[in-house]
Formats: sequence, structure tokens, C-alpha cells
Amino acid sequence: MIDLKELILPKDNLIPLLRKLKKEARLIAPVQNAYGDTLFSEISDLDSAHIDLDNQPQSSLKPFLLPQQEILARYQVDKAGYTFTPPEDEQETIYFGVRSCDLTAVLYMDLIFSKPVKDTNYYARRNQSLIITLGCNHPFANCFCEATASGPYLEYGYDLQFIDIGDCYFISAGRIKGADLLDQWSYFFREVQEEDRKARYQLLLEARGKFTRNVQVAHACRRLQKEPDPEAIWEALSRRCYDCGGCAYVCPTCTCFSLDDMVLDDTQGLRLRSWDACTSSGFTRMAGGHNPVDRRCHALKRRFLHKLKDDFARHGKVSCTGCGRCIDICFGGVDITTFIDLVTAVEAS
Amino acid sequence: MTNSIGELKGAEVLLVTGSNTTETHPQIARNILRGVDRGAKLIVIDPRKTDLAREAHIHLALRPGTDIALINGMMRIIIDEDLADDLFISMRTEKFTALRDYLHRLDLDEIATITGIDLQTIRDAACIYARSCKSVICYCLGVTQHTCGTNNVQAVANLAMLTGNVEKEHGGVDPLRGQNNVQGACDMAALPAVLPGYQSLANLEVRERFKAAWETDIPQTPGKSLTEMTHAGREGEIRAMFIMGENPVLSDPHLGRVEDTLQHLDFLAVSDIFLTETARLAHVVFPAASFAEKGGTITNSERRVQLCHRAIKPIGNCRPDSEIIMELGRRLGCPGMDFDSDAEIMDEISLLTPIYGGIHYDRLEGSWGLQWPCWDRDHPGTSFLHKYYFARGKGQFTITEHQEPREGVEEKYPFTLVTGRGSYHHYHTATMTRNSRRLVREYPEALLEINQDDCEKLGLQQGEMVELVSRRGRVRVKAQITDRVQPGTVFTSFHFWEVPINRLTIDALDPKSKCPEFKVCSANLRKVDHD
Amino acid sequence: MQDVMTICNYCGCGCGVYLRVDQGRVVGSYPSKNHPISQGNLCSKGWHLHEFIHSANRLTEPLMRKYGKLCPVSWDEALDYTTKSLLRTKKAHGSDSIGVLASAKCSNEENYLLQKLTRAGLQTNNIDHCARL
Repeated sequence: MIDLKELILPKDNLIPLLRKLKKEARLIAPVQNAYGDTLFSEISDLDSAHIDLDNQPQSSLKPFLLPQQEILARYQVDKAGYTFTPPEDEQETIYFGVRSCDLTAVLYMDLIFSKPVKDTNYYARRNQSLIITLGCNHPFANCFCEATASGPYLEYGYDLQFIDIGDCYFISAGRIKGADLLDQWSYFFREVQEEDRKARYQLLLEARGKFTRNVQVAHACRRLQKEPDPEAIWEALSRRCYDCGGCAYVCPTCTCFSLDDMVLDDTQGLRLRSWDACTSSGFTRMAGGHNPVDRRCHALKRRFLHKLKDDFARHGKVSCTGCGRCIDICFGGVDITTFIDLVTAVEAS
Repeated sequence: MTNSIGELKGAEVLLVTGSNTTETHPQIARNILRGVDRGAKLIVIDPRKTDLAREAHIHLALRPGTDIALINGMMRIIIDEDLADDLFISMRTEKFTALRDYLHRLDLDEIATITGIDLQTIRDAACIYARSCKSVICYCLGVTQHTCGTNNVQAVANLAMLTGNVEKEHGGVDPLRGQNNVQGACDMAALPAVLPGYQSLANLEVRERFKAAWETDIPQTPGKSLTEMTHAGREGEIRAMFIMGENPVLSDPHLGRVEDTLQHLDFLAVSDIFLTETARLAHVVFPAASFAEKGGTITNSERRVQLCHRAIKPIGNCRPDSEIIMELGRRLGCPGMDFDSDAEIMDEISLLTPIYGGIHYDRLEGSWGLQWPCWDRDHPGTSFLHKYYFARGKGQFTITEHQEPREGVEEKYPFTLVTGRGSYHHYHTATMTRNSRRLVREYPEALLEINQDDCEKLGLQQGEMVELVSRRGRVRVKAQITDRVQPGTVFTSFHFWEVPINRLTIDALDPKSKCPEFKVCSANLRKVDHD
Repeated sequence: MQDVMTICNYCGCGCGVYLRVDQGRVVGSYPSKNHPISQGNLCSKGWHLHEFIHSANRLTEPLMRKYGKLCPVSWDEALDYTTKSLLRTKKAHGSDSIGVLASAKCSNEENYLLQKLTRAGLQTNNIDHCARL
């Protein structure tokens, strides 16, 4: 895809630019806190916040666009009946330093929450957001975004994409909102030179060579499309699933949720939407107690198949973005790459 | 724990006994499984086929209450096979000869009969454990909740010392502490017989130091333990109680007696975040702030003292327990009840508690805490205990003999009832987890684990109600047919007030630790045809 | 939205958890990646740690038994009545007729204060908690 606009931002101008942007919107960026953890956080003071562009943010944008628990509506009941109050209007928000995998995940959520009807709450937040991504010159230890075609640089989907080319950022505007922003603050930028383009191209080539994990996503996909479900693999993996839901919660594209009504007292209450995980047995249990999914052998089946088979069939693209967040955190050590390795290993033997 | 949690993944052999680790200590199980994935051998001793036991190389599914016999058998085999660490025994321990002579008199076939495990399996486990010099033992309440709990622990310690698997990284004996701050509550001497930091009440010098700091004398005679207080009956010596954040009416053994005791107190005050079954019996109930509404430190299973931060202000009219205690203290005329902050309280703790000597808030802020013993400001904390020396000098071998549980099975009560925590989704008396929607959905009701063979005999189907009876009480509970329990054994948790299983459990205690025998009592059950 | 570092309130592992606070409500729990125990994941209980905090079943007012029923009262009334009752028991039956249970769910500071109150204030060593349960 051809970008709307390309400019160069000298690194010295980054904080001054962010300062301007922060005046008009809420600014969210990866911030390293006192404990060394890097989380996307709202920046209140640009001079004291440690914006961390060297480490992978621990959480994606999911907690902002689809919060772990959100109030969909408040209700009050009196003699006249029920009154529902929707949540307040969303604030204009700029997300800075978003990685390619996480932007890809946002595009996937856009798709999920647009069908069959647009999800009001999701789009209230999404329409108020401007996303500035940062291409990855140094993939992190667990990354495999190249295998899922969601990085290290992006070709579309972002409002602005920053690429670190040494002492400045190569900036591309992918959407009107981003291009407008470049126009508004044009005096921070300079024009792109041929050597900037060369540097960007060179860095992309180098970045592609730096992945340490070899995950055969496309290969696994093809096998899953063509061949019967690998029952033995489901069973072996599910035995090691200890029902924490962590893989789904840290995943930027896992969008399962459930609705609850919370009665505050006799006159008022809340309707809540919370993250859920298809790996839990309560997620599929029906009234009367029947459960179409046997957790003992199929705990992980829906999650992996949805990402690698069903979404590929529906959208032509897997919905794992290769961010690697679910790797190393599984209590039983059965993450999506374990599955992919097993699926592709069968053929080799 | 004598080791740190992270050390477990570096061990070569992991022996887990009496712990349903994946459900009750998920992060410890995670480290154990990482160890297994790296090639470590896993031995699980548990009457139930827990999820961790399914991953074990050897699962020793012993008859409940026969831990000592099993470990004695393992030790005998280790000596017979010449796998004992003679150098360690001679340098670092004492009284080994007596134990060795005792073990030589044991009949291994008899041990196989007592434990219900065939000798070859015991032999394999013993050899695997003893052949590695990086063997770790993790144990939990399955070892301690017996009338012979103290001896069970001693037997485990004997086994570790016999093979020299103590006093080092990736080797040791690790009791897993159940609650978030059970370690800290013990450290702070919420115990009847010691002062903070396990200092002796009988030691005059220690008492003098506390007297100076607290500006008052402190009584010398040890107090009553929890079960002595809650099981004294209506004529007990205890006439008034203050209970902070505990629910003995669901958690203690032989509940009928607990209720009877608490109902007949002259006065009962309870401080809690929910109206628990215990709070319902109180004369006064204080609404306490939850963990999210206050600061303070808590100490985890590996002795790591960590700082909690206040996320929101107390909801409604709630107050943190520290404020409630200080308010009461001032009104009761107790000196030294005027702290301005948790940091100031910690300053007094570190002054009076040598193992917390170097723990101050400024050191905890922005760090992952400090592991005690931490003697002074310059001390970095201690990741594994007993390096180069045991607390008492040399490690002492003590002979432990098999002892049958207080209640044996008999014609009228042919089943063995085992209780404990039993779900990934609930915690203890479930006051918190049952107010959490997702957790309730995942595990909505109590289930009694029962073996297929027993179900066939009783004509029982999955999900049918059974009535479970012991000498002390009865409950009705839904049956879950499973191979997790052996025939003749049933298991359920104490999470649900609708199925107060502790009405059935026995209040027989270990004489030293006062730990009740939750893990074995005899029971009978029958199918409930209609309600 | 703000992330507040705290330690999980459930088991003895002691995971580092960020509580996500939005307009005075705790709306999420998220594991710390660098914390030596949690290392980027929580168990099922930990991931839902925030859910009980705002439960409508929380106690929010002191309660006192009046005519057999627990009724809301002021803090002063509840504290004064407790003080009076404990002192009366102490006077009538002696210090050792009072028993105190501390909590493995409360902080070190709270447990320290409560045993201090028991030993120095009420003058008894009758203090214990659920360590063995």
C-alpha cells in the first residue's frame, strides 16, 4: 500500500512533538515503572515518565480498547420503571509506540466488533483513537511476527508508523488522521532523502534476520485446513492446561467476553462486560449442565483452531500476531508454538 | 521454604508430598513442571491422583495416613543400596546410629502392606531421590494435617538429611505455605507460644526487650491454640473473642463444636470484609478494608517480605484492620497504639524481630521485597536457608514410627474421608472467590470425589446426591465419579457453606503442632433417593 | 487508568499484580512480567482478583447485635461496646478468658499490632490464626 505521506522526525524533536499532541488528547505510551515493568500507561508528565521504546510492552492495547471489565450501562429503577445510562463519552486518545503485532491485533478487533452490528462501546473508543506504531528493528526473544505476516514493519493499518533509522525516525502516514497530524505540526519534520529510504530498507532486512524463533505458522495452517483434527495432540496439550486463562487474557486478539449484571442495591445496578476465556469449561456449559466441550481433552482446541484454522478460512489470515506474550507464561508449558511444533512435527516423522 | 520458588526448576529430582500443587500453589507447580520439562524426575506422594501426580514419573498413591511408614521404607532402601551421604551425615548431623538401627529392624514387606504400594515402586522412588544431589522435597498440608503431622515432617527431614539434600541451592525441604500471609502471621507471632520472630516467651532477656519497647509487662505462660479456643465448648475458659479475617465456623474441624463454643461466648467481635458464617454469630462486626484499600507488607512462602500498595480508598465506611486494632487498643488503654503509618509499625517490628532486622519500607519500595532472615540494613536477604549451618547447629535424626490415624475404617464407617482445597477456582471458605462471578461460574457447587468401583456398589450415577455421615455430623453433596480417588476413599473441599464438610471432620490434633487431622476420618455414605 | 502494584491476596506464592484502577474502581488485575514469582502470568483466582472488591455483598458499616439482629451502628458505638465488653470479661474471668484470632489474610503490620494488643493490652497469650487449616 502506498503511504499518504512520508517525513523524517529528528529524535530531538520527539518529546516536543509529543508535548504538543498531549495538549489535545490523552497520550498513552509504553512506560517503564519503578519495578522495571513496561506497560502502556497514560502519560501525565512527559518529563518524568520513562517512555520505554526498547522493551516489549507487557500488555497490548486490548486493555484500553476492550477493558478487562467495563460498565456497559448503569440502570436505576423507580416507580416509573428502568432508566439506563450509557457510559460517558470517550476521550480522544493517542497511542504512541505501539508495536506492529499489536496494531495488527487492533485491526482484527475492528473486524470482530464490526459484525454483525458495530459494537457501540468498542467503536466509541476506537473512533477516538489515533495509533502511532513503532516498527521493530530488534525482534524480542519470543517474537515470531514474520511468520504471522504482522511485522516487523507494517504496510498498512496505522495512522502513523515510526521507524528508528538512527538519529531520526522515518515516518509514514497510513491514514488521513495521521497525515493531518503531520500537516498540523509540519515544522517538526524534514523531507525524506534517498539515504533515509535506503537506511529504512536496510534495517528491515536486518530485522528479518534477527528472529530467534522458527515457528512454522503457514505450514501448520495448511495442515489444519487439509487434514483431520489432530486429536492426540489436543489431548496431550489439554492435560497440561491448568485453567488459568492467562493465554487468552494476555493475547491481543482473544476477544471472548461475557456479560454480567451486578445489583448494587434495590434501586440500581450495573451491566458489566468482562474478559473471558474459551479455555474455561464454564464458557461452554449449557443450562442443565451439559457441556459440548470436554475440558480434559479439548481445553485448548477452540483457541488454537480459531486462530490458525477458522480465521484463516474466514479472513485469509491467521489471528495470531506472533507477539509471543503467551510463550513462557503457561503454567503447563503448552502455548501456541508448542501446538504448531507438534502439528508440523507429525508430517516430518 | 528453605529454597526459593525459582530454584525448583533447577532441581534434578522433585519429590512432592501431600500437595495438590497445580491447584493450590500454581506458580510453584509451574516451576516444578519447568524442571520436569528440562529433564528432572518428579515423584508425587499422594493418595489422590492429582493433576500433578498425572505428570509424575512415579506416583506413590499411599493409603491416607501412612506417610511415615513409606518414608521409613524409602530410607531403609537407601541405606541398603548404599546411597546415603555418609560424609554429610558424619559432618552435619547427629543421632544417626539410632535411626539406622531402627530402620534395620523394619520389615519392608510389611511397609508395602501398610502403605498399599508395591515394594518395587517404593524402591524405584527411593533410588531416584537418593541418587541425585539436587533433590528437593516440597510438602504441604497433606503431610501436616494428621495426628502424627510433626512426625511426618520429621520423617521428611530425616530423608533429606540421610541423602545430604539440604543446606544448598536446588536442594532442600520446602513446606509450601497456604495463605498469602500465613508465613508473616507466624513471623509476627500471631501464635500462642512465641514472640515475633519465633523468640521464646520463656527467655527473660527477650521479654525484657519487649517490656521496654511496649512499656508494659507481658504474660509468660503460653496461650491457647486456635482449636483449643474454638473447641472448648459452652463451658470453656474462653468467654470473649476477637476474630480478625477468619472464618472458623467453616474452616475448623468438627464444626458442631465450634458453633456451640462461639454461640455461647459472652462476647464475640469479628472484623471481616464480608458477613461470613462466623460474623453472623458475632455481637459486633467491623467492616474491614480489603487488600486493595490498604498498604502493608505480606510474606510469601519463600519468606519474601513484599510491599502492597493501596489502589483505592476504603469503600463505604470500611477501615483497615490496623486502624481498627489501634482504635481498640487506645480505648483499652494499651500503650504504643499510635502509629501514623504502616512504615512506622515496620520500624518497630524490625527493632524487635532480629530476622526482620533490616526490613524497612524504603528498601521495599520499588523492589521485589526481601527474604528473611535479613539481619540489618546492609543485609541482602536470604534466598535459601540453612546454608552451612542449621538453625540449631547440627541436624538431628529422630526416629519416627508409623502410627495409624485416630479413626480407622470400620463396618459402620467404611470410607476414608479426605478434605482440603479442591479447585482451581476457589479458596478456603470461598468468602472472596464466591463473590467473584467468573470463579463461581467455573465451579458452582461442592462435589464429592468418589471412585467408579464404589459408585457401582452403591448404584450411584454422576451428579446424584449422597449423604455423607461421620461420627460427628452429616452433609449432603453431589457425587463426582473420578479416578482421582482410590476405592474406599472420598474427597471433598471445605469451600461451600452449603456443604460444611467440617461438620464431619475429626478434631483430633497433633500433640505438638496442634494441627487437626483433616486428612483422615472415617465416614459412610448412601445415595439420597429423593429430597 | 492507573496500574497499582500490589501482591495477590490468595495463596502463599505471592505474585506481583497490577490492579487497574479507573475512576475509583478496580477494573482489572494484570501480572507483572519482572516479578520473580508471577513472571507474566496469574492463576484463575489471580486473574479475577479484582472481582470481589466491589461486590455488593461487602460489609460497609459496623454492625451490632440488637434484640438478636445485627444492625448498622456508628464506629464509636461499635468500638465502645467492644471495649466495654472485653474489659468486663477481663475483670470478671481474668485475662486468659479472652481469645484472639489473627489472620493469614491480613498484613504483617496488622498481625503484629493485634498480637501486641493481645499481649500488652489484654495481657494474655491467647492468640493464634489459621496456620494449620
